[in-house]
Amino acid sequence: MMKLEAIIQPSRFESVKDALREVGIEGMTVTEVRGHGRQKGHTEVYRGREYTVDLLPKIKLEMVLPDKLVNTVVDTILKTAKTGKIGDGKIFISRVEEAIRIRNEERGESAL
Amino acid sequence: MKSAAKARSEFVSTATRPGFPPEQPQARKMPGPAKPLNIVAPQVEAERQRIRAKFDAGASAKETLHALCELADKIIQQIFGDVMKVHDTPNEGLALLALGGYGRRMLFPFSDLDILFLFENEKSEGEFRPFISEFSRTMWDLGFRVSSAGRTLDECKRIEEDNAEFHLALLDRRFLSGDQELFNKLDKRVLPPSEKQSRSFLFLQLHRLTKERLARYGNTIFHLEPNVKEAPGGLRDYQAAFWLRQILGDRPDLRGSTAADEELAADAVEFQSSIRCLLHYSNARNDNTLTYEMQEEAAKRSLSVRDGLERNAAEWMRLYFRHARTLNRQLLRYLDQKMAQPVSLRERFFSAARSVTRPEQPPSGAHFAIRSGQFEILDQPALADRSIIYSLFTEAARTGTMLSRDAERIITYVVSHSELHVRNQMMSWDTLKEILVADYPGVALRPMHRLGILMEILPEMRAIDSLVVRDFYHRYTVDEHSLRTIEHLQALAEPPDARGTSFAPVWKMQERRDLLVLALLLHDTGKGMPVENHVQGSLTALASAASRLELSPQEEAEVRFLIEHHLDMSATVQRRDIFDPATVSAFAATVGTLERLQRLCLLTYADIHAVNPEALTPWKAEMLWQLFVATANHLSRSLDRDRLHASDESSLLEQIQSATGGAPKTEIERFLEGFPRRYLAVHSATEIAQHFALYRKLGSAPLQTELKAERHGFSLTLLTADRPRLFSTIAGVLAGWGMNIIKADAFANAAGMVLDTFHFADLHRTLELNPSEVERFQASLTDVLSGTAALEPLLQSRESASRARPPKVAVTTGVSFDDAASAHSTLLEVVTQDRAGLLYDMGWALARLDCNIEVALIDTEGQKAIDVFYLTSRGKKLEPQKQEMLREVLQGTLG
Repeated sequence: MMKLEAIIQPSRFESVKDALREVGIEGMTVTEVRGHGRQKGHTEVYRGREYTVDLLPKIKLEMVLPDKLVNTVVDTILKTAKTGKIGDGKIFISRVEEAIRIRNEERGESAL
Repeated sequence: MKSAAKARSEFVSTATRPGFPPEQPQARKMPGPAKPLNIVAPQVEAERQRIRAKFDAGASAKETLHALCELADKIIQQIFGDVMKVHDTPNEGLALLALGGYGRRMLFPFSDLDILFLFENEKSEGEFRPFISEFSRTMWDLGFRVSSAGRTLDECKRIEEDNAEFHLALLDRRFLSGDQELFNKLDKRVLPPSEKQSRSFLFLQLHRLTKERLARYGNTIFHLEPNVKEAPGGLRDYQAAFWLRQILGDRPDLRGSTAADEELAADAVEFQSSIRCLLHYSNARNDNTLTYEMQEEAAKRSLSVRDGLERNAAEWMRLYFRHARTLNRQLLRYLDQKMAQPVSLRERFFSAARSVTRPEQPPSGAHFAIRSGQFEILDQPALADRSIIYSLFTEAARTGTMLSRDAERIITYVVSHSELHVRNQMMSWDTLKEILVADYPGVALRPMHRLGILMEILPEMRAIDSLVVRDFYHRYTVDEHSLRTIEHLQALAEPPDARGTSFAPVWKMQERRDLLVLALLLHDTGKGMPVENHVQGSLTALASAASRLELSPQEEAEVRFLIEHHLDMSATVQRRDIFDPATVSAFAATVGTLERLQRLCLLTYADIHAVNPEALTPWKAEMLWQLFVATANHLSRSLDRDRLHASDESSLLEQIQSATGGAPKTEIERFLEGFPRRYLAVHSATEIAQHFALYRKLGSAPLQTELKAERHGFSLTLLTADRPRLFSTIAGVLAGWGMNIIKADAFANAAGMVLDTFHFADLHRTLELNPSEVERFQASLTDVLSGTAALEPLLQSRESASRARPPKVAVTTGVSFDDAASAHSTLLEVVTQDRAGLLYDMGWALARLDCNIEVALIDTEGQKAIDVFYLTSRGKKLEPQKQEMLREVLQGTLG
């Protein structure tokens, strides 16, 4: 099992979610986050007051997947979240030791 | 009483509680269970099934609860008797009491049995504990959820300050089994004096607990999936009201509830109890949430429906809310009461003396007055004149003062008795506008809705009255959501948290709150209509309301825009890249003007906020603000770029032609050609036709002016050929007359004709109080502009007359230039401290450096002036060197 974390543009979230549903991914954790990588933010002035947007809003998706689905999911996210501009986000993948469903204590991939 | 788990542990922990010794060595031994459970258990279960079957067949909740209570009583007496008998133990010194809901004989199918073991003293407690454990275990095995506590007589006398719930539950005590004499001692001799002494404590604690509970549910009954026990309007409200009544005693001021009120409350209790029984039976546990599925089930069963009519779930929920409102109102009425405090002779003396020196009588002829921070009705018969009720709501909205519960009761009476000769029932748009535009519109609209008055004025809102629309995110009914949007906006006067801080100035400076608040009242009315898209339904509602209330076409257009686009800003924030200039540009094109953007932004802020308490995350609020700022900047920076080509505006041309009695199209085109697009966005076709009429008169007089009185001052429209220092001279005349410019627009068309509009406050009420001065003011303006009179004497006389007051808020001056905003002008933005004559000083500085104003947008925000100018010098953008000189001059002039 693998854990996949994807940081994407908020504007791409609906498309990514729909595309993931189409490849059979129903469950995910979604968090509203702020941060920056190379896209450093900018400053806006409104009515004489300066607003520095140094941490940009992003959406973080987290999901744990059976190994065989990882490539499909990565391809789907790349296809739907990419705009080609700085700030499109990143995907991180890591190995997961165990998954347990709290309700019935099922373990392993069947708990996903 | 505390929760089952807490109460059980409370009993178990009695062994280690100070003053409650561990099991005594002399405790009697336990030989085994009192009676085989395999005999009793099936009987109990069969009886439970019988009670449920009767409920399913239509028995009332009251019958069901009584039957469950009788069963519990019988089994408790039997098991307790058996336990004592098996151990050959007399029950002197131990009594079993039912408390709380069980004490009141309101035992729901899966509720806890709240039981108190009352001991004569600590010795008897030690002796009886083993039997109690056995009794409790047996009851649990029979499927009763026993939630027990143990106290000695002495302990019952003492007030446990951290356990008010126990003392409240004790108010519902009822003898079950054991030592009747001991119970009588507690009931008649021990508790009455202690309860009398602790009344104030109990009242305050119950008040606190109830307020905390109501706040947990957002202080509203209108939840989409309400908890029928704990939420406002649920059975806990009835219970709390019952306790408050007991604590407060039979006071004459509380006897105001009529037999009809009592009957309504009894019906409401029956209705809510039926639902709770259904929920317990269906979920097989103490789960009191009336989910969408259970709403369907209740509607299908026509649960507690007396008129025999079949209803769908949404209609059945309206019955639920009606009953919930009854219970909640009854509770709030008791919560409003104060404990009568003993008054000393000295206090009485001073109180009498105060009433002589400062009588609390309101001025004669007043129909209402503020007492103890709330509006009270003084003259009930006068309320037959609806205009008096409306003026009360206007005052509530203006001052943020709520109506007292009694005032609402009196209005309810007047409104619901059609035989009273009502006068002036129609509320005009002007009156409604006074309420909507005020600082606290929600303070008036909430009771207006509660009392049915809002639906008289806006019958379109009937469609969403107590309407449940299933939605994963929404927590409240549609009408409740709409009212909350308005309350979230009025809270921006003092933002309760960081989410609102940025939006607060936009709300405070919003001039047409009336349009915004009307849009909020109507924006979801379509949800109650059989239409595919609720926005279309809401627009239909607006059309009917606008025609009845006689909104001007421009006002209707503004509200229409807000309703039509009420989801757009939120959708743009969530589904578009708001940092992409193309997104901002497209959104700005949809919105058109800064004024619309401000209103749409506030509407979106409020709409998201009112979905549920967590919906407007700081993240979303920030995104919304970013889009607002980017769009506002885009609008003010693209002003000069988007120019009008009159030949493209055929519909407008026709409207103006018809309004002016068939003026030649070419002449109209010549007038419009080259104005910034904003000109069309901020003026209606009627206004543009009026401007055109002024334009046609330029042949007879080269300066045309029009002065109009407005809500907070005057507006001056001025049309003339462009010339150097025109803008600064007009600003100078206004300053010389003591007028404070709040907003201004300056537009020029392709032919060099200038149309300036100034909105100003008449600080000394010169024009308002002296109509003859209006003519003199206009003549003075014409004379100065035509050069027949000098400006300086006018300014000097004002300077000597005015006393400079120190500003309340210090604003640092900021001067910035943008060369990229326009193809042929340089944008100058100045933010500085507002003061009299400021615009004149700035205009003069610009003129001195040979800068021509192509477009100007002047605005103020409290004591901050925010002015945007598009400048050219000899027909070109300003050279960098000139920009620096101008910066220095402005910094020097403005400080």
